[in-house]
Amino acid sequence: MRAVWVAALLVAVTACGALFTEATPDADLFDAPLDGLSATELGAFARGDAEFARPFSVREGLGPIFNDLSCAACHSGDGRGRPDNVLTRIGSPADGFLAPLGGPQIQSRAIPGASPEVVPMGVALSLRLPPPVFGVGLIEAVPEAALLALADSADTNRDGISGRPNWVVPADYVPGVASARRIGRFGRKGQTATLLEQTVEAYHQDMGITTEQRPNDNLHPDDPASAADGASDPEIPAATVAAVVAYLRMLAPPDPSAETPDVVRGRTLFSQAGCSACHVPTLTSGDAPIAALRGRAVTLYSDLLLHDMGPRLADLRPDGSATGTEWKTPPLWGLRLMSRFLNGQAFLLHDGRARSIAEAIEWHGGEADRARAHWLGLSPADQRALLAFVGSR
Amino acid sequence: MAGRYLQATSILLGWCVLGAPVHAQVTDTTRADTVARPFVRGGVYDKPFLTRLGGRSVLGGYAEAQARYERVDGIREQLGFEARRFNLFANARVSDFVRLGAELEVEDGGREISLEFAAIDVRVHAAFTLRAGMLLSPIGRFNLAHDSPLNEFTDRPLVSTQLLGVALSEPGVGAFGQFRTSGAGRITYEAYATNGFHDGLILDSPDGTRVARGTDNCEDNNATPSFVGRLAWSAGPAWELGISAHVGPYNTYRVDGAPIDRARQVNIWALDAEGTFAGITASGEAAVVDVDVPESMRGVFATRQAGAFIDLVRPFGRGWVRTMPASAFALKARWDLVDFDRALTGDSRQQFSAGVNFRPTQDTALKLDFVRGRARDRFNNASDHAFALFSIATYF
Ligand code: HEC
Ligand code: HEC
Repeated sequence: MRAVWVAALLVAVTACGALFTEATPDADLFDAPLDGLSATELGAFARGDAEFARPFSVREGLGPIFNDLSCAACHSGDGRGRPDNVLTRIGSPADGFLAPLGGPQIQSRAIPGASPEVVPMGVALSLRLPPPVFGVGLIEAVPEAALLALADSADTNRDGISGRPNWVVPADYVPGVASARRIGRFGRKGQTATLLEQTVEAYHQDMGITTEQRPNDNLHPDDPASAADGASDPEIPAATVAAVVAYLRMLAPPDPSAETPDVVRGRTLFSQAGCSACHVPTLTSGDAPIAALRGRAVTLYSDLLLHDMGPRLADLRPDGSATGTEWKTPPLWGLRLMSRFLNGQAFLLHDGRARSIAEAIEWHGGEADRARAHWLGLSPADQRALLAFVGSR
Repeated sequence: MAGRYLQATSILLGWCVLGAPVHAQVTDTTRADTVARPFVRGGVYDKPFLTRLGGRSVLGGYAEAQARYERVDGIREQLGFEARRFNLFANARVSDFVRLGAELEVEDGGREISLEFAAIDVRVHAAFTLRAGMLLSPIGRFNLAHDSPLNEFTDRPLVSTQLLGVALSEPGVGAFGQFRTSGAGRITYEAYATNGFHDGLILDSPDGTRVARGTDNCEDNNATPSFVGRLAWSAGPAWELGISAHVGPYNTYRVDGAPIDRARQVNIWALDAEGTFAGITASGEAAVVDVDVPESMRGVFATRQAGAFIDLVRPFGRGWVRTMPASAFALKARWDLVDFDRALTGDSRQQFSAGVNFRPTQDTALKLDFVRGRARDRFNNASDHAFALFSIATYF
């Protein structure tokens, strides 16, 4: 009799777990912290997490012109966005980013009393799907020397692939030697060198939130009188920016899934096809402000360098030292979980035009022409194995 | 903060004085005019409720306490206790024609105090009573009868709290009344002009359009009234069908008479029904909210929202507890849905609640609830939640 009760209790307790919802394992999330963080760092991570998710109201300083209400509203679950979150960029360094027309970025929304920017006619547009933000601390910690070692601007090895770094000058609020060039790693063209700058500019440009680094509201160029959003500037303290930067740095990349025979074969095909010439499987991080970031294997499948991807992918809009046909090799880590945070959908490439990994490969051109040709020549079974590998990262 | 508490305490003290039973001075209200000359004419001890209305002013209220266990996606979000509400009612029958009703709500241990209701009713006829003051907006039935001891569930329906901002009250003036139809049937109406909502429903809300953020429009923001009304028909005491609407502009569209925008409407439509069959009481409400959002804010702020709930309650076990002959149990179930943005497949919340209640008498409820639901963000990604709730609510 007692056994029956014990069994019933066990069933009830097990059922309770399901009844009261179950947690997703950290390895299956885009917003899990790195292993090996201290309690203090985890506390900071939680604060930054809340700020990343925090939407702003007009009263709190949103706008006057803006694209969305929070970081998480574009970076779903800290992963990528979808086509209705794309940013439209215009202008280039040569033309002052067409500032009088609303460049470098079109803010398509505005608070009451201000007017949104409209996409000007006759200029090159660059549509940018929000990329995932996990693992960016590791990306930031890869030494420049490691990237330069991969660069081959003159294609001296004659493999048709000539990756080169995007040399950019960080904003003047970024600590370090003023006007010293750095290799950009963030953004679709690698046009931003540090997470601090990425964060400050996202607050300023994407949400219209002023910070100590950028204390003046971003105004519509034709409509400066509409000015203020009413909130006093800076709208968020330096501590908030620091918390978000620290949070981004501490975001772990998700683990790849278990190896299957297809995945194992796909790995070989991936390098045979020449994919790994650009999608370099592993880099190693160097020194970093957070101990857990130092000297780690960074299995991102990217060289973080620029490649000419041919006319079909070209936006014809230079950015930093990237030309109008070049794109930064995007990391492939986390592709396994991509659609989990997009309600089952997949959006790949810089503007989200590809709806599957196979489609993304077929869009490859320019320096990746050979790799694409290799892919097209694979048997269906080999193609499946290659997709299984890429989709398991 | 201290100021808030001081203010709260003085409001509460004043309230108690108003409602305190009065014996000393008033023995015979018909001879009130013979009371000795007051120290200050019309002063603190020379008020009608002391000198003439004694016995006609009454104090009551309800209180509610909760224990909550909440999990979201497997993570414990709350395991704690809340002294949720302490509401005081005051009611005075000033004369056969004039009544005053009021309700002061103290929420979350005094952090929020609001005058939820304070209206003067002047009765002309059963079909026409004039009402003015702080009104409970007749939008849906739940807003008009939302007291915790009455609600069979610990939480209020999502459509009420998330969409309509129950308890929704506004300053206004209007009338209510009833007409008998055949037998026990009747038609009732309430119709008021009110201050309506303000643009906080967009400007103060970080989460997208939220009507509840545009309430408390005590100093009318746009010098244009809104209208709210409900028409209900019931064939007998066990059935009622109601339809209600709240329409009017919410934005400040003129500054010093100069137009700065067009008048933007928020229109709310609600349908409510209640009935008993086979011992089960079913009640429910459905509402649609239409907001004329500025074009430049669309896409992130919804122009149309909707929601609904259905409650099923089956009382049983009356008098099972020998020592409490008036006691009864009830089984209950609720389905809740809110869609914060009709233009999107995501941005919604759905949940199912079930549980059992025990009422020692009709005026007190001990409620045990289990809630399981799923929210969807704007990307339509799901997140699951589950609550176990226990609460006690009683009238006094
Ligand atoms: C309106 C949508 C939107 C919002 C809001 C937004 N982002 Fe982004 N984010 C993007 C897009 C698009 C890119 C790529 C930009 C490019 O390539 O030019 C990006 C890039 C990034 C990157 C670089 C990722 C990489 O590896 O290249 C980081 C980090 C980032 N965002 C963080 C943030 C933070 C922090 C916030 C909030 C303060 C934020 N974003 C708000 C759309 C958004
Ligand atoms: C010459 C360098 C290069 C080679 C070789 C290359 N890629 Fe790419 N790959 C890129 C660049 C650059 C992009 C981004 C293009 C864009 O966004 O328009 C990209 C994008 C992708 C994407 C989409 C990623 C995302 O998050 O949107 C996938 C998947 C991909 N590559 C897989 C492969 C595979 C598989 C191969 C081998 C058959 C391969 N690539 C070969 C440079 C390369």
